[in-house]
Amino acid sequence: MAAIGVLAKEAADRELLGLMLGELGHRVEGAARLEEAVEFARERKPAGFLIVDGAGADGESLTRELLRAFPLLPVVAALKVRDANRAVALMRVGACEVVAPPWTPEDLKASVSKGLRFQGTALSVAAAAPLSRSPLWYVLSVALFLAAGLGAASLKRAERNRAAAAARTDRWELPVRHPAGLAFDGKSLWLIEWFTQSFYALSPADTAVQLVRHLTAETPVAAAFTSEAMWTVSADGTVIRRMRDDKMTPLTRYPRAAPNSAGIAFDGLYLWALDGRARVLRKHLVDRELSVLATYPWRGLKAAGLLFDGASLWTLDAADRRLMRHALDRPQDVIAAVPLPEYAEGAYVPVGAAWDGARFWTVGEAKDGKGPARLVRHKEEPR
Amino acid sequence: MRAPLLVPALLRFPGSAARQDSWGRLLKVTAGGAELSTAARLAKGDVLQLQFELGGERMALPARVHHAYDDDDGQRVAELRWSDMVERRRLARALVGLLSRA
Repeated sequence: MAAIGVLAKEAADRELLGLMLGELGHRVEGAARLEEAVEFARERKPAGFLIVDGAGADGESLTRELLRAFPLLPVVAALKVRDANRAVALMRVGACEVVAPPWTPEDLKASVSKGLRFQGTALSVAAAAPLSRSPLWYVLSVALFLAAGLGAASLKRAERNRAAAAARTDRWELPVRHPAGLAFDGKSLWLIEWFTQSFYALSPADTAVQLVRHLTAETPVAAAFTSEAMWTVSADGTVIRRMRDDKMTPLTRYPRAAPNSAGIAFDGLYLWALDGRARVLRKHLVDRELSVLATYPWRGLKAAGLLFDGASLWTLDAADRRLMRHALDRPQDVIAAVPLPEYAEGAYVPVGAAWDGARFWTVGEAKDGKGPARLVRHKEEPR
Repeated sequence: MRAPLLVPALLRFPGSAARQDSWGRLLKVTAGGAELSTAARLAKGDVLQLQFELGGERMALPARVHHAYDDDDGQRVAELRWSDMVERRRLARALVGLLSRA
């Protein structure tokens, strides 16, 4: 492996990076000052240099000076503090790679090996050619072509099956008793249970429980998803923006931003909250305070859920047992309604609703609160 | 034509993505899209804004990840498609100017 110079002001950094590069099989020489680094580069002709930026060391000027003396030397910068603008500035002065903290052998290996094979950007006016595909891609393409060639008969049969499935309503008993809301994240249905302060991710295919998360610090009542964030509301009205990771890591808290929440929904630009007690829909700007931009009267009887289907808002009225459609520009008006005859017997009360891109789902709580909750996939509505 | 250096790019994500700004290097730039090498874990369908300089002109192009995979070094290589036609035309003009001077 190649000799690599490490230019770091602090001995601890030199030692750490030296150990990591040594583990990767490189011979390492440390330098605390630029003069030492230049001397080392002149004598030992290293394959590259690793420069630490931060904690009193200006990586930008070190990179510039080192490259002035050795223009073809690949220089990799290691940031002490993560700063994307700083990383770009370092690359502009000639660093071929920038490693973000915390430094790991994997990141160092990727950056150093890439830095040692440094080339420039290819420029072309012509549109990008597709990346080379794997053999698997070609096999799948042929398989798809053959599948398509099976003919109209199988397509017709599939269409008949689909129509039958669309007209069917499915029900499942759930292993919870006190649901508070329902949401869809693009793959899974998320059931919120207030009693055990839990989130259950359910498979839409068979409602199998895929994931369970308990929140010990708050009582969740509603949730909504954007492409990369999860929004939840607690019983005290606190809205929390979370990462969509396994721990549902909280990112931002908005205390009491959505009081008496019957549901929240994100329309791609604004966060909407349905206040069940005040019977109003609030439109929030996603800023530091989650400011309320507008408040609209809600004309239902008992608010139980809110969702966005990609075009309109829908609210769930538990008393009338129906879903009501609202246009985004005039959400105070009900422009359509979908009755929920599955709740006509009165044994269950709908408490949450979700839209999976094709159908509505609702979750109902047993009226006496003793039986298991029921999940309903409703028949497909003409759009 | 190949530039003497890899063009560095700043990666910004929409607020709803809850992701930190990141950075990468443009392996290839065309009027239709770009190929980016980055440590950020980009996935197909991700939306981001790419900021970089080309021929002295600052570019800020919204893009969507069309295809992404890990390279042999463990970094992410993403094929991006520009999604803003106005910015895309501006980039094309900059590329034509740059290549005609080469």
